Amino acid sequence: MAIKKDLSVNYLGVKCQNPFFLSSSPVGGNYDMVRKCYETGWAGCFFKTVGIFVADECSPRFDQTNKEGLPWLGFKNMEQISDKPTEQNFEYIYRLVRDYPEHVTVATIMGSSEEEWKQLAKMCDEAGVPLIEGNFSCPQMTSHDMGSDVGTNNELVEKYARAVTSVTDIPFIAKMTPNCKNMEEHARAAIKGGAAAVSAINTIKSITNLDFENMTAMPVVNGKSSISGYSGAAVKPIALRFCTQVQQDEEIHKLVKEKGFDFGYGHEMSGIGGIETWRDAAEFLAVGCRTVQVTTAIMQYGYRIVEDMISGLSHFMDERGFDNLDQFIGCALPNIIPAEELNRDFRLLPKFDDKKCVGCGRCYVSCYDAAHQAIDWNEKKRRPELNDNCVGCHLCLNVCPVQGCITPGEIQWKEGREPVDVKFKKEYI
Amino acid sequence: MSKVVKAKYTAEAVAGFTHRTAMEEAARCLLCHDAPCSQGCPAGTDPAKFIRSIRFRNVKGAAETIRENNILGGSCARVCPYDRLCEEACSRCGIDKPIQIGKLQRYAIEQEKVFKMKILKAPAKKKAAKVACVGAGPASLAAAAELAKAGYRVTIFEREEKAGGVLTYGIVPSRLPQAVVDHDIAQVKGLGVKFEFGKEVKAADLEEYDAVFVGTGLWGANLPKIEGIELAGVYSAVDFLKAARTQKNAFDPGKKVLVVGGGDVAVDCAVTAKLLGAEDVKIVYRRTLEEAPGNMTEFQYALTLGIGITTGMAPAAIKGADKVEAVEFKGFRDEAAQLVLSADTIVFATGQTAEDQTAVAPVKVADKGLIKAPKGKAGGKFFAAGDIVNGGKTVVEAVAAGKEAADAMIAYLEKKGVK
Ligand SMILES: Cc1cc2nc3c(=O)[nH]c(=O)nc-3n(C[C@H](O)[C@H](O)[C@H](O)COP(=O)(O)OP(=O)(O)OC[C@H]3O[C@@H](n4cnc5c(N)ncnc54)[C@H](O)[C@@H]3O)c2cc1C
Ligand SMILES: Cc1cc2nc3c(=O)[nH]c(=O)nc-3n(C[C@H](O)[C@H](O)[C@H](O)COP(=O)(O)O)c2cc1C
Ligand code: SF4
Ligand code: SF4
Ligand code: SF4
Repeated sequence: MAIKKDLSVNYLGVKCQNPFFLSSSPVGGNYDMVRKCYETGWAGCFFKTVGIFVADECSPRFDQTNKEGLPWLGFKNMEQISDKPTEQNFEYIYRLVRDYPEHVTVATIMGSSEEEWKQLAKMCDEAGVPLIEGNFSCPQMTSHDMGSDVGTNNELVEKYARAVTSVTDIPFIAKMTPNCKNMEEHARAAIKGGAAAVSAINTIKSITNLDFENMTAMPVVNGKSSISGYSGAAVKPIALRFCTQVQQDEEIHKLVKEKGFDFGYGHEMSGIGGIETWRDAAEFLAVGCRTVQVTTAIMQYGYRIVEDMISGLSHFMDERGFDNLDQFIGCALPNIIPAEELNRDFRLLPKFDDKKCVGCGRCYVSCYDAAHQAIDWNEKKRRPELNDNCVGCHLCLNVCPVQGCITPGEIQWKEGREPVDVKFKKEYI
Repeated sequence: MSKVVKAKYTAEAVAGFTHRTAMEEAARCLLCHDAPCSQGCPAGTDPAKFIRSIRFRNVKGAAETIRENNILGGSCARVCPYDRLCEEACSRCGIDKPIQIGKLQRYAIEQEKVFKMKILKAPAKKKAAKVACVGAGPASLAAAAELAKAGYRVTIFEREEKAGGVLTYGIVPSRLPQAVVDHDIAQVKGLGVKFEFGKEVKAADLEEYDAVFVGTGLWGANLPKIEGIELAGVYSAVDFLKAARTQKNAFDPGKKVLVVGGGDVAVDCAVTAKLLGAEDVKIVYRRTLEEAPGNMTEFQYALTLGIGITTGMAPAAIKGADKVEAVEFKGFRDEAAQLVLSADTIVFATGQTAEDQTAVAPVKVADKGLIKAPKGKAGGKFFAAGDIVNGGKTVVEAVAAGKEAADAMIAYLEKKGVK
């Protein structure tokens, strides 16, 4: 029997079957798509951004980066918001809310003026959605009144959040752009304006590849191209950083409480960016996100990836003895600390397993050319030998191609430092 | 019944890499320090270097490395026994399975053609010395290329109509397409090496040359002295393969074909017969499969074509009025064993022997008529390498030995002061 665990979460007062959502994008662009995704197991969907403005898209509009033959490390899109008429989008949303009450259909909206934001918010109200998301973050809109230009302007963020929440009581989520210096200040502005929470990240402004046939960037549209949003696995580290910083900002949690949007969990972040597996999702939960959203991995693999997210996360909870996600959400936050607070008194030396070693010499090359010349190469035996120069940086451990061959070994205390109990990672896979 | 592969005689049996699959394979490479694979290549093709070039998206650089080190890089990529050479040495064996080095080499050399690269250049100013090479097989081609790169004027004499030696007249095209061989040879021609075909060299032809390389290979048949060996339908492996390669689909191998032998040559003969339309092809080997010198993957390929393999039996007599009709076999170790098989054709893939080399050049011959030539030096202005010296090994070893002999020739000519 397949494992069954309670993966449900409360998100801004709404009960969700699990934390897995589609993020606003073409993966949730009409009734039938969203119906299929619900039937596959997704808890909810942030519907493709609806505006008064209807997008007029270019073709082609996608590109991807790859390394060593591995495709889709990152993904670039030049899409804007929905290219369907506003009324039709709300008609889809209305029917989804009506037909799938157990699932969470969120309307994501974007206006270009206070008036438009209000108008869209009213339409959400009429459609009966449980939550509204405001897109303050698309980096490739054709006007400065929309998208990430708005999201990095605190005044506009606050003003538009206020516009939405002045006409509806539905909790409002502001979707933030990573194309900023500091996400916390924009998040605070949104909450001051009446948003209940923020979600992040939207895509990162990028140029993925140059095309030397046409001497422009990719993708090539009639010989030209533009800077536009980057997503997928490559952006996960950046997304995790932003989510962590927002969740570690005390001011944001305080503001949420003051505004009456504390449902018992402080600020409720929704994490987005490069999620493909249950493990990626769990990482976002560990830094305090209550839900996660996915686009690029679905574009590459389809809705079915949620099956392994559900099963994988269930097995993980089982293995760790968690009964529900609340026991796990935010667990890692206290352990991510400023660099100046780290213990710098010891060196954790690498240990080499001569039996597992295949003699490739990669550790030797990297330690010599990029670290501290701490490995001598035994040419005859084709084995590394550690000398006294080692600083314990673990570059060697990171380049070794053999699982479990180089592992953390002896702890060496720097001179005059006080030995304490040291916690370190033992399992590398 | 399991599925039997139907293939064409001239169609290549194994598909190559595309850019994507080559990158995937190159990504498996551990990019070793002082790489064992490179140490494992007799000809110094330096796989670690060309794989690294592929990995760092410099496929033209990869082609350069191969071509500069191994003039027959395209052919070697197809026919080298890598499982005994570079791939056996590969560090990745310690994790799972070796990098497919031969296939990556094939990919890089294919790109050389796609990009119409001309990698090798001979100096415009030629040296005065005149050099002759006898035979246009791998050993001679490698020696000639080295000499031409060093500025010598080289002429290759070949008694057949085309260059390549065993590459052109022996190995089956499904393993080594003629276009691949021709592309390799075009690189030698591109260095200004002259070829004279249809020229059976005799010692007297070589007087005007300052230095002579002999790379004549082993082309004498090795037929057992048994009853019926003179009948029509009896072939030596080299004659059989040569007839197939020159006449292609016009060659009729017979309906029932027996191939005697247990090496790769036997498999090549059997595969040739099958691909050219023989109905029933059997390989008969006197020892066990375990003892057979042939490559197991080649035997497996033969099986997939529906070729049978019988072991433990040696031919005793060939029966027939004026052509082969049946062959009697006796157990090689098993005295009780008896076997009679009907046949139209019997091919002896039981090794080749040297022809009379003293007729070709004033060289010393040793056992079995092989030329004595330590480090390529056969005495005076004569040099030799390849099968005719080592008794029959591999293409890559012939290339390596040809290169080594060329170095010895250059040293000899420089010492003699021929400019
Ligand atoms: C059927 C077969 C399959 C093989 N398969 C493989 C394989 O898969 N992989 C591998 O690595 N090796 C293989 N080998 C071995 C490999 O082909 C040889 O080791 C290699 O070709 C030797 O090269 P060479 O230059 O010494 O001689 P050869 O290739 O034999 O070339 C000698 C040339 O000299 C010419 N010649 C001879 N005498 C004269 C003369 N008097 N005047 C003018 N020209 C002359 C011949 O016509 C011939 O063209 C195979 C051999 C055979 C027979
Ligand atoms: C093709 C494409 C279209 C997108 N359209 C929208 C959009 O209309 N509104 C929006 O808020 N985000 C949009 N996004 C951003 C995604 O919702 C998401 O925030 C981002 O891609 C990071 O998540 P991922 O790595 O899982 O794709 C789009 C992304 C892609 C790839
Ligand atoms: S830990 Fe760093 S310094 Fe020490 S051997 Fe490894 S790479 Fe070299
Ligand atoms: S990188 Fe790992 S496998 Fe390679 S030599 Fe070093 S320890 Fe051995
Ligand atoms: S030995 Fe194998 S893994 Fe190492 S460089 Fe050569 S091909 Fe790559």
